[in-house]
Amino acid sequence: MRISIENFTKSFGDTTVIEDMSLEIGDGEMLALLGPSGCGKSTTLFAICGIHRMNAGRLMFGDTDVTEVSSQKRNVGVVFQNYALYPHMNVYENIAFPLKVRKESKAEVDRKVQEIAGLVHIGELLQRRPMQLSGGQQQRVALARALIRKPDILLLDEPLANLDAKLRLEMRSEIRRIQLATGITAVLVTHDQVEAMSMCDRIALMDKGQIVQLSTPKDMYENPSSDFVAGFLGNPPIAFLDGTVADGEFRLANSQVTLPVPSGIEIPGEGAPMRFGVRPEFFQPGNPLKVPGKVSFVETQGREELYDVMLENGAVLRSIQSQNAGFRLGQEVSWGIEQDRVLAFGPDGNRL
Amino acid sequence: MRRAHLLGLGFLSPALAIILMLFLIPVLLTVMFSFTNMSTATGISGGAYEINAASLRKLADAGAQESFVETLGKESFVVDDAGITAAAAAYGEQFANEVGSQMLGERFSSRRDLERAFRKLKSRPRSTRDIKKAANLFKRSVLNIRFETAGGLVGAVTDNGIEMTPDQQELLTKTIYTGWTWTSDNFALMAQIPYVWRVAGNTVLYVVLTLAASVGLGLFLAITTFYLPSSSATSFRAIWFLPRILPNVIFVLMWKWLAWDTGFLSSLFANFGVPPRNWMLDTGVNAWVFIVLINGIVGASLGMILFGSAIKSIPQSMLHASEVDGASRWQQICYIILPQLRWPIMFICAYSTLSLLTSFEYILLSTDGGPGGATEVWSLMAFHTALDNYAGNLQYGLGAAMALMLVIVGILASLVYLRIFNFNDLVAKPRIEQ
Ligand SMILES: Nc1ncnc2c1ncn2[C@@H]1O[C@H](COP(=O)(O)OP(=O)(O)OP(=O)(O)O)[C@@H](O)[C@H]1O
Ligand SMILES: [Mg+2]
Repeated sequence: MRISIENFTKSFGDTTVIEDMSLEIGDGEMLALLGPSGCGKSTTLFAICGIHRMNAGRLMFGDTDVTEVSSQKRNVGVVFQNYALYPHMNVYENIAFPLKVRKESKAEVDRKVQEIAGLVHIGELLQRRPMQLSGGQQQRVALARALIRKPDILLLDEPLANLDAKLRLEMRSEIRRIQLATGITAVLVTHDQVEAMSMCDRIALMDKGQIVQLSTPKDMYENPSSDFVAGFLGNPPIAFLDGTVADGEFRLANSQVTLPVPSGIEIPGEGAPMRFGVRPEFFQPGNPLKVPGKVSFVETQGREELYDVMLENGAVLRSIQSQNAGFRLGQEVSWGIEQDRVLAFGPDGNRL
Repeated sequence: MRRAHLLGLGFLSPALAIILMLFLIPVLLTVMFSFTNMSTATGISGGAYEINAASLRKLADAGAQESFVETLGKESFVVDDAGITAAAAAYGEQFANEVGSQMLGERFSSRRDLERAFRKLKSRPRSTRDIKKAANLFKRSVLNIRFETAGGLVGAVTDNGIEMTPDQQELLTKTIYTGWTWTSDNFALMAQIPYVWRVAGNTVLYVVLTLAASVGLGLFLAITTFYLPSSSATSFRAIWFLPRILPNVIFVLMWKWLAWDTGFLSSLFANFGVPPRNWMLDTGVNAWVFIVLINGIVGASLGMILFGSAIKSIPQSMLHASEVDGASRWQQICYIILPQLRWPIMFICAYSTLSLLTSFEYILLSTDGGPGGATEVWSLMAFHTALDNYAGNLQYGLGAAMALMLVIVGILASLVYLRIFNFNDLVAKPRIEQ
């Protein structure tokens, strides 16, 4: 079911957390709400499921206005960050709870619980208590509980935050599999860009209560609208060079080194500050546009090696290279930037 | 013993001292008193032996033969050396010698017989009045004489020529002792009190009703204040907590004002033509309603605080989850909140039964067991028997025996609760977990 949030404003007391936000989520789409801690992701999610009332704005599920509908009646499944399983009920009762409060028949409940338990692979855990489950199992139970009454919308608030790295990887594809299998419209809240990029159709990147960019993961990675977005996506992260415009070129701050500006960019006036963003994969020994520096940090990541190169003005560029390059700490190098993949940002941080 | 052990003992010592002073010593004293027949009449120090009208009646009640009691009560006249010496001083040696030589050792059951015998003597006093007086010098009686020991009494009685079988002697010394003695009769006595079963029933009723009222009201308050905005919830809670910090006497006085025949209820109902009456003591049912309300409201405040904090410790997200799962407020309370209050509720029940069993101050202050014993509970009965008796004879021993029954019931109940709670478990991990 399509969700549309129109001019949503939310404040707690005097502090306005979200101001005039609009967001459209398509039917069957999985959208990530990505952003740093405290930017209002959970608040948005709670507004969608009705736990928080909106101070202003309108919320539509499909063609129905649900702004004033209570959370009990919205038919939204929510997986909470800490799973919020009921400790006094076993797994079966936890999953059956949404049906129990609707007073469905025992046989019906049983059929649906077995079905959903199969879907999330917890069929053999039904008699356990939440306390006797591992994090990943609890997560599946929470997912099953959210899905059991066939909600129109599934909301996931940082569902993977409490899991270890390996399990996180596993559950990522698991959740996506279930979402695709059920065809449900889903909103995933996360502050992990890898999660957002790997699981979702589109990403809404939030900062300070605003959506700063809304697009597909690939597009957002390649065409960030601002340096904030560029800095948020990508691992290892993008490196920024600060400088000014000099003779139609980019001159590094406190340095005589100049770099050509990527083609097709409207250059700000002479002397205006400017920022270059260089992703690690585009700073490589083989590229022609050389920048001299000294290796200031080496990190082996197994298949790849990550280098920090400190330029003469103190700025740092990052490079990721396949292992066998064998550069050492302190070594003087002169590696090249792939000119057309450089991201240029204006004084206000917006992409040029 | 290692030094650490001593240190631990040192830290424990205040607690041990308190247990000793406030629990063990009172219990031991209660046990001790309950095996005595101490009362106002016996006093709590020692007593003495004295035959008098009252003790003779007691003796008769205790089943002594009538003739024996009669003999004890009668005076007799014995011609002995003490009497002769007295007679010599009063009526001259000659008379005394004559009495001594002719009548020594004789015994008369009435004064007239002795007078008649005197009249036969030559040197007898002239006037009839003097003969009477002289006869009186030989009067011997055990009546109204205090003896410190049983031996003294028995000696005196035998000296008076009253023959006693050993059984009679034992009965006599036992019955007429005015001090307290060790006895295990109190428990049998207790069972014979005609209203004792009714009091036991009242006690059960009191504990059950008050518990239900205070837990119910406490839950209601905790849940309603939980859903209230926090500022008004705080003041609401403070108001309900007042009865607990208010002095008992003032709290009960306020209820009495409410219920008096010139009080609030009467004035209110007067508008509807209901004649004024004391609503609290009017009927037994009324009295019970008031007892349960008074105690229940005081008890509810504790429940409110305990349940309230337990509800607050339920993670917010769990309540949110139940909301989006479609649970109404009522279902949220029934399925999420109440199940997680299981331990606090059981704790309050256990704690309150124990404290209600022994607490009677609100009943004492409000109905004092009335009307007509309708609200007399066990602890109040013990208090009345031992310390506040209409008849004026405070029966410390019997009262202590009654209190001992409460101690025993309380200890048994504690053991049962300890089993139910499995206290080790309770201490080991929190019952409201994520
Ligand atoms: N109940 C509340 N009362 C007051 N302020 C709140 C409340 N809930 C959230 N906020 C504030 O709103 C802002 C956004 O909170 P929100 O929980 O939506 O952040 P978030 O993006 O989910 O962060 P995180 O990733 O840490 O969960 C924060 O600054 C927070 O302090
Ligand atoms: Mg959050």
